[in-house]
Amino acid sequence: MIEIVGTKTIAGVSSSGRFAQFVWQTMTASTWSCIRSRTYPLIWTQMLVIGVRSVPVIMITGAFVGMILAIQAYDQLRAMGMEERLGVLINISVVKELGPVLAALMLAGRVGGALTAELGTMNVTEQIDAVRSMGTNPIRYLVAPRVLACLLLTPFLIIYADLMGIVGGYIVSVLLKGINSQAYWSFSASGVELWDVAVGVINGLFFGAAIAVISCYKGFTCREGAHGVGQACTEAFVASFITILALDYALAVLFKAIYSTFWPVKSLVG
Amino acid sequence: MSQVGDKDRMFIVKNLTKRFGDNIVLDNISLTIEKGKTTVVIGPSGCGKTVLIKHLIVLLRPSSGEVYFKNQRIDELSENELNKIRTHYGFLFQGGALFDSLSVAENILFPIRQHYKIEDWKEIGELVKIKLAMVGLDGFQNYYPANLSGGQQKRVALARAISLDPEVILYDEPTTGLDPVRADVINELILKLQRELGVTTVVVTHDMTSVYKIADRIIMLHNGKIIADGDTEHIRNHPHPSVQQFINGQVSEDDLAVLRMSGHVSKAQFLPRDFEK
Repeated sequence: MIEIVGTKTIAGVSSSGRFAQFVWQTMTASTWSCIRSRTYPLIWTQMLVIGVRSVPVIMITGAFVGMILAIQAYDQLRAMGMEERLGVLINISVVKELGPVLAALMLAGRVGGALTAELGTMNVTEQIDAVRSMGTNPIRYLVAPRVLACLLLTPFLIIYADLMGIVGGYIVSVLLKGINSQAYWSFSASGVELWDVAVGVINGLFFGAAIAVISCYKGFTCREGAHGVGQACTEAFVASFITILALDYALAVLFKAIYSTFWPVKSLVG
Repeated sequence: MSQVGDKDRMFIVKNLTKRFGDNIVLDNISLTIEKGKTTVVIGPSGCGKTVLIKHLIVLLRPSSGEVYFKNQRIDELSENELNKIRTHYGFLFQGGALFDSLSVAENILFPIRQHYKIEDWKEIGELVKIKLAMVGLDGFQNYYPANLSGGQQKRVALARAISLDPEVILYDEPTTGLDPVRADVINELILKLQRELGVTTVVVTHDMTSVYKIADRIIMLHNGKIIADGDTEHIRNHPHPSVQQFINGQVSEDDLAVLRMSGHVSKAQFLPRDFEK
Protein backbone atom coordinates (compact mmCIF):
# COMPACT_ATOMS: atom_id res chain seq x y z
CA MET A 1 0.00 0.00 0.00
CA ILE A 2 2.68 2.45 1.12
CA GLU A 3 4.78 1.30 -1.79
CA ILE A 4 1.99 2.09 -4.27
CA VAL A 5 1.44 5.54 -2.77
CA GLY A 6 5.19 6.16 -2.84
CA THR A 7 5.60 5.05 -6.46
CA LYS A 8 2.64 7.15 -7.56
CA THR A 9 3.97 10.18 -5.71
CA ILE A 10 7.44 9.82 -7.21
CA ALA A 11 5.95 9.35 -10.69
CA GLY A 12 3.74 12.41 -10.21
CA VAL A 13 6.55 14.61 -8.96
CA SER A 14 8.95 13.55 -11.70
CA SER A 15 6.38 14.02 -14.45
CA SER A 16 5.51 17.50 -13.20
CA GLY A 17 9.24 18.17 -13.04
CA ARG A 18 9.60 17.12 -16.67
CA PHE A 19 6.64 19.31 -17.62
CA ALA A 20 8.13 22.29 -15.77
CA GLN A 21 11.45 21.74 -17.57
CA PHE A 22 9.59 21.58 -20.90
CA VAL A 23 7.75 24.83 -20.11
CA TRP A 24 11.02 26.53 -19.18
CA GLN A 25 12.75 25.35 -22.36
CA THR A 26 9.75 26.45 -24.39
CA MET A 27 9.81 29.89 -22.80
CA THR A 28 13.49 30.44 -23.51
CA ALA A 29 13.20 29.04 -27.03
CA SER A 30 10.15 31.22 -27.76
CA THR A 31 11.93 34.34 -26.54
CA TRP A 32 14.82 33.45 -28.84
CA SER A 33 12.46 32.92 -31.75
CA CYS A 34 11.02 36.40 -31.28
CA ILE A 35 14.46 37.93 -31.76
CA ARG A 36 15.73 35.76 -34.63
CA SER A 37 14.09 36.73 -37.90
CA ARG A 38 15.05 33.35 -39.42
CA THR A 39 12.32 31.64 -37.43
CA TYR A 40 9.58 34.04 -38.56
CA PRO A 41 8.55 31.96 -41.60
CA LEU A 42 7.89 29.00 -39.27
CA ILE A 43 5.71 31.23 -37.09
CA TRP A 44 3.76 32.56 -40.09
CA THR A 45 3.02 29.01 -41.25
CA GLN A 46 1.75 28.03 -37.82
CA MET A 47 -0.27 31.24 -37.55
CA LEU A 48 -2.03 30.27 -40.78
CA VAL A 49 -2.74 26.74 -39.58
CA ILE A 50 -3.61 27.57 -35.99
CA GLY A 51 -5.11 31.02 -36.26
CA VAL A 52 -6.53 31.85 -39.65
CA ARG A 53 -8.09 28.45 -40.28
CA SER A 54 -9.78 28.55 -36.86
CA VAL A 55 -11.65 31.77 -37.61
CA PRO A 56 -14.83 30.16 -39.07
CA VAL A 57 -15.41 27.71 -36.20
CA ILE A 58 -14.62 30.37 -33.63
CA MET A 59 -17.11 32.76 -35.24
CA ILE A 60 -19.82 30.10 -35.30
CA THR A 61 -19.14 29.29 -31.65
CA GLY A 62 -19.39 32.96 -30.69
CA ALA A 63 -22.59 33.55 -32.63
CA PHE A 64 -24.38 30.62 -31.00
CA VAL A 65 -23.26 31.70 -27.53
CA GLY A 66 -24.85 35.12 -28.06
CA MET A 67 -28.03 33.69 -29.57
CA ILE A 68 -28.53 31.09 -26.85
CA LEU A 69 -28.00 33.65 -24.09
CA ALA A 70 -30.62 35.91 -25.69
CA ILE A 71 -33.19 33.12 -25.97
CA GLN A 72 -32.65 31.87 -22.42
CA ALA A 73 -32.54 35.26 -20.67
CA TYR A 74 -35.35 36.98 -22.58
CA ASP A 75 -38.30 35.34 -20.81
CA GLN A 76 -36.93 35.89 -17.34
CA LEU A 77 -36.10 39.54 -17.90
CA ARG A 78 -39.46 40.06 -19.57
CA ALA A 79 -41.27 38.68 -16.51
CA MET A 80 -39.62 41.46 -14.53
CA GLY A 81 -40.28 43.99 -17.28
CA MET A 82 -36.59 44.53 -17.85
CA GLU A 83 -36.21 43.02 -21.30
CA GLU A 84 -34.52 46.15 -22.61
CA ARG A 85 -31.59 45.38 -20.36
CA LEU A 86 -31.03 42.11 -22.20
CA GLY A 87 -28.11 43.73 -24.05
CA VAL A 88 -26.09 44.27 -20.87
CA LEU A 89 -26.59 40.71 -19.76
CA ILE A 90 -25.69 39.17 -23.09
CA ASN A 91 -22.77 41.40 -23.89
CA ILE A 92 -21.12 41.32 -20.52
CA SER A 93 -21.39 37.52 -20.33
CA VAL A 94 -20.05 37.18 -23.85
CA VAL A 95 -17.05 39.50 -23.66
CA LYS A 96 -16.04 38.71 -20.11
CA GLU A 97 -16.49 34.96 -19.76
CA LEU A 98 -18.34 32.88 -22.29
CA GLY A 99 -16.68 34.22 -25.44
CA PRO A 100 -13.08 33.72 -24.26
CA VAL A 101 -13.68 30.42 -22.46
CA LEU A 102 -15.76 28.75 -25.15
CA ALA A 103 -13.43 30.00 -27.89
CA ALA A 104 -10.48 28.60 -25.94
CA LEU A 105 -12.23 25.26 -25.45
CA MET A 106 -13.01 25.15 -29.14
CA LEU A 107 -9.32 25.83 -29.87
CA ALA A 108 -8.23 23.15 -27.39
CA GLY A 109 -10.22 20.67 -29.45
CA ARG A 110 -9.36 21.94 -32.90
CA VAL A 111 -5.76 23.09 -32.47
CA GLY A 112 -4.66 21.11 -29.41
CA GLY A 113 -5.74 17.80 -30.90
CA ALA A 114 -3.98 18.52 -34.18
CA LEU A 115 -0.76 19.64 -32.46
CA THR A 116 -0.59 16.57 -30.25
CA ALA A 117 -1.36 14.19 -33.11
CA GLU A 118 1.20 15.86 -35.39
CA LEU A 119 4.04 16.01 -32.87
CA GLY A 120 3.10 12.59 -31.44
CA THR A 121 3.35 11.01 -34.88
CA MET A 122 6.66 12.80 -35.45
CA ASN A 123 7.87 11.43 -32.13
CA VAL A 124 6.79 7.87 -32.89
CA THR A 125 8.37 7.92 -36.37
CA GLU A 126 11.63 9.27 -34.89
CA GLN A 127 11.32 12.60 -36.72
CA ILE A 128 11.92 14.49 -33.46
CA ASP A 129 15.07 12.44 -32.87
CA ALA A 130 16.03 13.21 -36.47
CA VAL A 131 15.78 16.94 -35.73
CA ARG A 132 18.03 16.45 -32.71
CA SER A 133 20.47 14.26 -34.63
CA MET A 134 21.00 17.10 -37.11
CA GLY A 135 22.03 19.45 -34.32
CA THR A 136 18.79 21.38 -34.02
CA ASN A 137 16.85 21.92 -30.84
CA PRO A 138 13.39 20.39 -31.54
CA ILE A 139 11.77 22.70 -29.01
CA ARG A 140 13.05 25.72 -30.89
CA TYR A 141 12.15 24.33 -34.29
CA LEU A 142 8.85 22.61 -33.52
CA VAL A 143 7.40 23.89 -30.26
CA ALA A 144 8.31 27.59 -30.12
CA PRO A 145 6.60 28.57 -33.43
CA ARG A 146 3.44 26.71 -32.44
CA VAL A 147 3.33 28.21 -28.97
CA LEU A 148 3.98 31.72 -30.26
CA ALA A 149 1.34 31.40 -32.97
CA CYS A 150 -1.22 30.11 -30.49
CA LEU A 151 -0.31 32.68 -27.83
CA LEU A 152 -0.46 35.65 -30.18
CA LEU A 153 -3.55 34.67 -32.14
CA THR A 154 -5.88 33.39 -29.42
CA PRO A 155 -6.67 36.97 -28.25
CA PHE A 156 -7.62 37.91 -31.83
CA LEU A 157 -9.76 34.81 -32.19
CA ILE A 158 -11.47 35.78 -28.95
CA ILE A 159 -12.23 39.20 -30.43
CA TYR A 160 -13.92 37.40 -33.34
CA ALA A 161 -15.89 35.24 -30.92
CA ASP A 162 -16.93 38.33 -28.91
CA LEU A 163 -17.97 40.17 -32.03
CA MET A 164 -20.08 37.31 -33.32
CA GLY A 165 -21.57 36.76 -29.85
CA ILE A 166 -22.71 40.38 -29.79
CA VAL A 167 -24.10 40.13 -33.31
CA GLY A 168 -25.86 36.84 -32.50
CA GLY A 169 -27.38 38.31 -29.33
CA TYR A 170 -28.48 41.39 -31.23
CA ILE A 171 -30.16 39.40 -33.98
CA VAL A 172 -32.21 37.34 -31.55
CA SER A 173 -33.04 40.20 -29.16
CA VAL A 174 -33.84 42.94 -31.62
CA LEU A 175 -34.88 41.17 -34.80
CA LEU A 176 -36.67 38.16 -33.32
CA LYS A 177 -37.85 39.37 -29.94
CA GLY A 178 -38.50 42.95 -31.01
CA ILE A 179 -36.55 44.82 -28.34
CA ASN A 180 -35.94 48.49 -29.14
CA SER A 181 -32.57 48.67 -30.83
CA GLN A 182 -31.56 52.00 -29.32
CA ALA A 183 -32.43 50.90 -25.79
CA TYR A 184 -30.55 47.64 -26.36
CA TRP A 185 -27.35 49.42 -27.34
CA SER A 186 -27.52 52.23 -24.78
CA PHE A 187 -27.96 49.80 -21.89
CA SER A 188 -25.17 47.67 -23.34
CA ALA A 189 -22.83 50.65 -23.64
CA SER A 190 -23.50 51.72 -20.08
CA GLY A 191 -22.97 48.21 -18.69
CA VAL A 192 -19.95 46.96 -20.61
CA GLU A 193 -16.66 48.72 -19.97
CA LEU A 194 -13.42 48.57 -21.90
CA TRP A 195 -12.02 46.78 -18.85
CA ASP A 196 -14.44 43.86 -19.33
CA VAL A 197 -13.44 43.41 -22.95
CA ALA A 198 -9.75 43.73 -22.10
CA VAL A 199 -9.96 41.08 -19.37
CA GLY A 200 -11.45 38.59 -21.81
CA VAL A 201 -8.83 39.29 -24.44
CA ILE A 202 -5.92 39.15 -21.98
CA ASN A 203 -7.25 35.80 -20.74
CA GLY A 204 -6.77 34.65 -24.32
CA LEU A 205 -2.99 35.04 -24.06
CA PHE A 206 -2.92 32.63 -21.14
CA PHE A 207 -5.40 30.19 -22.68
CA GLY A 208 -3.49 30.12 -25.97
CA ALA A 209 -0.15 29.51 -24.29
CA ALA A 210 -1.64 26.78 -22.07
CA ILE A 211 -3.27 24.95 -24.99
CA ALA A 212 -0.11 24.98 -27.11
CA VAL A 213 2.33 24.05 -24.35
CA ILE A 214 0.19 21.21 -23.01
CA SER A 215 -0.55 19.80 -26.46
CA CYS A 216 3.08 19.98 -27.59
CA TYR A 217 4.25 18.38 -24.35
CA LYS A 218 1.80 15.51 -24.75
CA GLY A 219 2.97 15.06 -28.34
CA PHE A 220 6.63 15.01 -27.32
CA THR A 221 6.05 12.44 -24.56
CA CYS A 222 3.60 10.28 -26.47
CA ARG A 223 4.04 6.51 -26.36
CA GLU A 224 4.52 4.36 -29.42
CA GLY A 225 1.79 3.10 -31.69
CA ALA A 226 -1.61 4.31 -32.83
CA HIS A 227 -2.94 3.76 -29.33
CA GLY A 228 -0.19 5.95 -27.86
CA VAL A 229 -0.97 8.87 -30.19
CA GLY A 230 -4.72 8.54 -29.56
CA GLN A 231 -4.23 8.48 -25.83
CA ALA A 232 -1.89 11.48 -25.96
CA CYS A 233 -4.57 13.46 -27.87
CA THR A 234 -7.23 12.58 -25.31
CA GLU A 235 -4.96 13.49 -22.41
CA ALA A 236 -3.95 16.74 -24.10
CA PHE A 237 -7.59 17.78 -24.61
CA VAL A 238 -8.66 16.87 -21.08
CA ALA A 239 -5.63 18.60 -19.55
CA SER A 240 -6.13 21.73 -21.70
CA PHE A 241 -9.86 21.82 -20.87
CA ILE A 242 -9.28 21.68 -17.13
CA THR A 243 -6.34 24.08 -17.29
CA ILE A 244 -8.46 26.61 -19.19
CA LEU A 245 -11.21 26.49 -16.56
CA ALA A 246 -8.71 26.63 -13.69
CA LEU A 247 -6.81 29.51 -15.32
CA ASP A 248 -10.11 31.29 -15.92
CA TYR A 249 -10.94 31.06 -12.22
CA ALA A 250 -7.47 32.18 -11.13
CA LEU A 251 -7.45 35.08 -13.58
CA ALA A 252 -10.97 36.10 -12.54
CA VAL A 253 -9.81 36.33 -8.91
CA LEU A 254 -6.68 38.23 -9.94
CA PHE A 255 -8.44 40.74 -12.20
CA LYS A 256 -11.16 41.25 -9.63
CA ALA A 257 -8.49 42.17 -7.07
CA ILE A 258 -6.81 44.53 -9.53
CA TYR A 259 -10.14 46.11 -10.46
CA SER A 260 -11.27 46.68 -6.88
CA THR A 261 -7.87 48.13 -5.98
CA PHE A 262 -7.97 50.66 -8.79
CA TRP A 263 -11.73 51.25 -9.00
CA PRO A 264 -11.85 53.99 -6.32
CA VAL A 265 -8.98 55.78 -8.10
CA LYS A 266 -10.80 55.51 -11.37
CA SER A 267 -13.92 57.16 -9.97
CA LEU A 268 -11.76 60.05 -8.78
CA VAL A 269 -10.09 60.44 -12.15
CA GLY A 270 -13.11 59.83 -14.34
CA MET B 1 41.68 -6.13 -31.18
CA SER B 2 44.90 -4.33 -31.97
CA GLN B 3 45.84 -1.23 -30.02
CA VAL B 4 45.12 2.02 -31.87
CA GLY B 5 46.58 5.46 -31.36
CA ASP B 6 44.57 8.28 -29.78
CA LYS B 7 44.11 10.04 -33.11
CA ASP B 8 42.60 6.99 -34.80
CA ARG B 9 39.82 6.64 -32.27
CA MET B 10 36.51 8.13 -33.29
CA PHE B 11 34.50 6.82 -30.37
CA ILE B 12 35.42 5.42 -27.01
CA VAL B 13 32.69 3.92 -24.87
CA LYS B 14 33.61 3.11 -21.27
CA ASN B 15 31.51 0.93 -18.98
CA LEU B 16 28.26 2.02 -20.58
CA THR B 17 25.13 0.81 -18.81
CA LYS B 18 21.60 1.77 -19.81
CA ARG B 19 18.46 0.92 -17.87
CA PHE B 20 14.85 1.59 -18.78
CA GLY B 21 13.10 1.17 -15.44
CA ASP B 22 14.24 -2.21 -14.11
CA ASN B 23 15.19 -3.46 -17.54
CA ILE B 24 18.95 -3.41 -18.17
CA VAL B 25 19.39 -2.95 -21.93
CA LEU B 26 23.14 -2.34 -22.07
CA ASP B 27 25.26 -3.92 -19.38
CA ASN B 28 28.71 -2.42 -18.75
CA ILE B 29 29.82 -2.14 -22.37
CA SER B 30 33.28 -0.86 -23.32
CA LEU B 31 34.48 -0.48 -26.88
CA THR B 32 36.53 1.69 -29.21
CA ILE B 33 35.55 2.57 -32.77
CA GLU B 34 38.30 3.39 -35.22
CA LYS B 35 38.33 6.28 -37.62
CA GLY B 36 37.62 5.57 -41.28
CA LYS B 37 36.45 1.99 -40.70
CA THR B 38 33.08 0.33 -41.01
CA THR B 39 32.03 -1.21 -37.73
CA VAL B 40 28.88 -3.32 -37.73
CA VAL B 41 26.94 -4.09 -34.57
CA ILE B 42 24.85 -7.26 -34.87
CA GLY B 43 22.54 -9.06 -32.51
CA PRO B 44 18.99 -10.34 -32.20
CA SER B 45 16.09 -7.87 -32.09
CA GLY B 46 15.78 -6.18 -28.73
CA CYS B 47 19.40 -6.79 -27.70
CA GLY B 48 20.18 -3.08 -27.40
CA LYS B 49 21.89 -2.39 -30.75
CA THR B 50 19.83 0.71 -31.54
CA VAL B 51 20.17 1.91 -27.95
CA LEU B 52 23.94 1.60 -28.33
CA ILE B 53 24.24 3.76 -31.45
CA LYS B 54 21.83 6.30 -30.03
CA HIS B 55 24.34 6.69 -27.21
CA LEU B 56 27.11 7.43 -29.71
CA ILE B 57 25.24 10.60 -30.74
CA VAL B 58 23.79 11.08 -27.24
CA LEU B 59 20.17 10.90 -28.35
CA LEU B 60 20.02 8.75 -25.20
CA ARG B 61 22.07 9.43 -22.09
CA PRO B 62 23.82 6.60 -20.25
CA SER B 63 22.55 5.43 -16.86
CA SER B 64 26.24 5.09 -16.02
CA GLY B 65 29.47 5.09 -18.01
CA GLU B 66 31.15 7.46 -20.43
CA VAL B 67 31.05 8.18 -24.16
CA TYR B 68 33.90 9.99 -25.97
CA PHE B 69 33.84 11.43 -29.49
CA LYS B 70 37.27 12.33 -30.85
CA ASN B 71 38.65 12.15 -27.30
CA GLN B 72 36.08 14.60 -25.96
CA ARG B 73 33.59 13.36 -23.41
CA ILE B 74 30.13 14.00 -24.84
CA ASP B 75 27.62 12.20 -22.63
CA GLU B 76 27.62 15.00 -20.07
CA LEU B 77 27.35 17.95 -22.46
CA SER B 78 24.22 20.11 -22.53
CA GLU B 79 21.88 19.83 -25.52
CA ASN B 80 23.19 23.16 -26.87
CA GLU B 81 26.80 22.01 -26.77
CA LEU B 82 25.79 18.67 -28.28
CA ASN B 83 24.05 20.39 -31.18
CA LYS B 84 27.41 21.76 -32.36
CA ILE B 85 29.00 18.32 -32.13
CA ARG B 86 26.09 16.61 -33.86
CA THR B 87 26.83 18.55 -37.05
CA HIS B 88 29.78 16.15 -37.48
CA TYR B 89 27.35 13.22 -37.59
CA GLY B 90 24.94 11.77 -40.07
CA PHE B 91 22.26 9.46 -38.69
CA LEU B 92 20.12 7.22 -40.85
CA PHE B 93 17.03 6.22 -38.89
CA GLN B 94 15.37 2.84 -39.25
CA GLY B 95 12.26 4.22 -40.92
CA GLY B 96 14.12 7.06 -42.63
CA ALA B 97 12.41 9.66 -40.36
CA LEU B 98 11.97 12.08 -43.27
CA PHE B 99 9.85 15.12 -42.43
CA ASP B 100 6.63 14.28 -44.22
CA SER B 101 5.49 17.89 -44.44
CA LEU B 102 8.63 18.86 -46.40
CA SER B 103 9.62 17.93 -49.96
CA VAL B 104 12.69 15.85 -50.71
CA ALA B 105 14.77 18.96 -51.47
CA GLU B 106 13.56 20.72 -48.31
CA ASN B 107 14.39 17.64 -46.26
CA ILE B 108 17.95 17.66 -47.57
CA LEU B 109 18.22 21.42 -47.04
CA PHE B 110 16.90 21.19 -43.48
CA PRO B 111 20.23 20.70 -41.67
CA ILE B 112 21.96 23.19 -44.00
CA ARG B 113 19.34 25.86 -43.30
CA GLN B 114 19.63 25.25 -39.58
CA HIS B 115 23.39 25.77 -39.48
CA TYR B 116 24.23 28.18 -42.29
CA LYS B 117 22.88 31.47 -43.54
CA ILE B 118 22.07 30.77 -47.15
CA GLU B 119 22.47 33.63 -49.62
CA ASP B 120 22.88 31.92 -52.96
CA TRP B 121 19.82 29.73 -53.55
CA LYS B 122 20.90 28.72 -57.04
CA GLU B 123 24.10 27.19 -55.78
CA ILE B 124 22.20 25.48 -52.99
CA GLY B 125 19.97 23.87 -55.64
CA GLU B 126 23.16 22.47 -57.17
CA LEU B 127 24.19 21.09 -53.78
CA VAL B 128 20.86 19.30 -53.34
CA LYS B 129 21.30 17.90 -56.84
CA ILE B 130 24.75 16.55 -55.97
CA LYS B 131 23.58 14.97 -52.73
CA LEU B 132 20.63 13.33 -54.45
CA ALA B 133 22.84 12.16 -57.31
CA MET B 134 25.09 10.43 -54.76
CA VAL B 135 22.15 8.22 -53.76
CA GLY B 136 20.93 7.97 -57.36
CA LEU B 137 17.76 10.01 -56.95
CA ASP B 138 18.44 13.26 -58.79
CA GLY B 139 15.19 14.57 -60.24
CA PHE B 140 13.10 13.68 -57.19
CA GLN B 141 13.59 17.11 -55.58
CA ASN B 142 9.94 18.08 -55.54
CA TYR B 143 8.50 14.73 -54.42
CA TYR B 144 7.07 14.31 -50.96
CA PRO B 145 8.16 11.36 -48.76
CA ALA B 146 4.67 9.83 -48.96
CA ASN B 147 5.10 9.44 -52.75
CA LEU B 148 8.36 7.50 -52.47
CA SER B 149 8.89 3.77 -51.96
CA GLY B 150 10.55 2.49 -48.76
CA GLY B 151 13.93 2.10 -50.46
CA GLN B 152 13.75 5.58 -52.00
CA GLN B 153 12.81 7.07 -48.63
CA LYS B 154 15.90 5.49 -47.07
CA ARG B 155 18.09 6.83 -49.87
CA VAL B 156 16.68 10.34 -49.44
CA ALA B 157 17.23 10.01 -45.70
CA LEU B 158 20.82 9.03 -46.48
CA ALA B 159 21.22 12.06 -48.74
CA ARG B 160 19.93 14.18 -45.85
CA ALA B 161 22.32 12.49 -43.42
CA ILE B 162 25.32 13.41 -45.61
CA SER B 163 24.20 16.95 -46.35
CA LEU B 164 26.49 18.49 -43.71
CA ASP B 165 29.48 16.40 -44.92
CA PRO B 166 29.72 14.39 -41.72
CA GLU B 167 32.79 12.61 -40.39
CA VAL B 168 30.70 9.81 -38.97
CA ILE B 169 27.59 8.14 -40.36
CA LEU B 170 25.48 5.99 -38.06
CA TYR B 171 23.05 3.61 -39.74
CA ASP B 172 20.16 2.10 -37.78
CA GLU B 173 19.06 -1.08 -39.59
CA PRO B 174 19.54 0.41 -43.08
CA THR B 175 18.32 -2.64 -45.00
CA THR B 176 15.40 -3.71 -42.82
CA GLY B 177 12.12 -3.88 -44.71
CA LEU B 178 13.72 -3.74 -48.18
CA ASP B 179 13.76 -6.46 -50.82
CA PRO B 180 17.19 -8.10 -51.44
CA VAL B 181 17.98 -5.95 -54.48
CA ARG B 182 17.08 -2.65 -52.78
CA ALA B 183 18.98 -3.81 -49.70
CA ASP B 184 22.04 -4.36 -51.85
CA VAL B 185 21.67 -0.85 -53.30
CA ILE B 186 21.90 0.49 -49.74
CA ASN B 187 24.94 -1.72 -49.04
CA GLU B 188 26.67 -0.38 -52.14
CA LEU B 189 25.84 3.17 -51.04
CA ILE B 190 27.31 2.57 -47.60
CA LEU B 191 30.52 1.28 -49.20
CA LYS B 192 30.58 4.11 -51.72
CA LEU B 193 30.16 6.82 -49.08
CA GLN B 194 32.85 5.27 -46.95
CA ARG B 195 35.21 5.10 -49.93
CA GLU B 196 34.47 8.51 -51.42
CA LEU B 197 33.97 10.58 -48.29
CA GLY B 198 36.32 8.63 -46.02
CA VAL B 199 33.74 8.65 -43.25
CA THR B 200 33.70 6.48 -40.17
CA THR B 201 30.72 4.17 -40.44
CA VAL B 202 28.79 2.42 -37.68
CA VAL B 203 25.99 0.14 -38.81
CA VAL B 204 23.45 -1.64 -36.65
CA THR B 205 21.78 -4.53 -38.44
CA HIS B 206 20.69 -8.14 -38.28
CA ASP B 207 21.00 -8.68 -42.03
CA MET B 208 24.00 -11.01 -42.33
CA THR B 209 24.33 -10.59 -46.14
CA SER B 210 24.80 -6.91 -45.54
CA VAL B 211 27.22 -7.53 -42.67
CA TYR B 212 29.56 -9.72 -44.73
CA LYS B 213 29.52 -7.22 -47.55
CA ILE B 214 30.34 -4.03 -45.67
CA ALA B 215 32.00 -4.86 -42.35
CA ASP B 216 35.64 -4.19 -41.46
CA ARG B 217 34.83 -5.24 -37.95
CA ILE B 218 31.82 -6.97 -36.39
CA ILE B 219 30.60 -6.62 -32.82
CA MET B 220 27.89 -8.96 -31.57
CA LEU B 221 25.62 -7.92 -28.72
CA HIS B 222 23.62 -10.44 -26.75
CA ASN B 223 21.51 -9.61 -23.69
CA GLY B 224 23.19 -6.23 -23.37
CA LYS B 225 26.76 -7.56 -23.46
CA ILE B 226 29.39 -7.87 -26.17
CA ILE B 227 29.92 -11.58 -26.83
CA ALA B 228 32.04 -11.36 -29.96
CA ASP B 229 34.25 -8.69 -31.53
CA GLY B 230 36.49 -9.06 -34.56
CA ASP B 231 36.68 -9.25 -38.35
CA THR B 232 34.46 -11.41 -40.55
CA GLU B 233 36.67 -14.50 -40.28
CA HIS B 234 36.82 -14.19 -36.52
CA ILE B 235 33.03 -14.07 -36.28
CA ARG B 236 32.50 -16.94 -38.74
CA ASN B 237 34.71 -19.17 -36.65
CA HIS B 238 33.57 -17.92 -33.26
CA PRO B 239 33.01 -20.76 -30.78
CA HIS B 240 30.10 -19.12 -28.87
CA PRO B 241 26.87 -21.01 -29.72
CA SER B 242 24.73 -17.83 -29.74
CA VAL B 243 27.05 -16.29 -32.36
CA GLN B 244 26.85 -19.37 -34.58
CA GLN B 245 23.05 -19.54 -34.23
CA PHE B 246 22.72 -15.88 -35.10
CA ILE B 247 25.01 -15.76 -38.12
CA ASN B 248 23.56 -18.98 -39.53
CA GLY B 249 19.99 -17.97 -38.73
CA GLN B 250 19.24 -21.06 -36.66
CA VAL B 251 16.80 -21.32 -33.82
CA SER B 252 18.18 -22.60 -30.52
CA GLU B 253 17.27 -26.01 -29.06
CA ASP B 254 15.51 -24.34 -26.11
CA ASP B 255 13.29 -22.28 -28.43
CA LEU B 256 12.51 -25.39 -30.48
CA ALA B 257 11.50 -27.27 -27.36
CA VAL B 258 9.06 -24.49 -26.43
CA LEU B 259 7.57 -24.51 -29.95
CA ARG B 260 7.04 -28.28 -29.91
CA MET B 261 5.43 -28.10 -26.53
CA SER B 262 2.94 -25.34 -27.34
CA GLY B 263 2.09 -26.94 -30.72
CA HIS B 264 1.37 -30.22 -29.01
CA VAL B 265 -0.92 -28.59 -26.43
CA SER B 266 -2.90 -26.56 -28.92
CA LYS B 267 -3.43 -29.50 -31.28
CA ALA B 268 -4.58 -31.75 -28.49
CA GLN B 269 -6.84 -29.40 -26.59
CA PHE B 270 -7.81 -26.16 -28.28
CA LEU B 271 -9.58 -26.59 -31.58
CA PRO B 272 -11.92 -23.68 -32.26
CA ARG B 273 -14.80 -25.96 -33.22
CA ASP B 274 -14.71 -27.54 -29.76
CA PHE B 275 -15.99 -24.23 -28.41
CA GLU B 276 -18.99 -24.16 -30.73
CA LYS B 277 -22.37 -25.10 -29.42
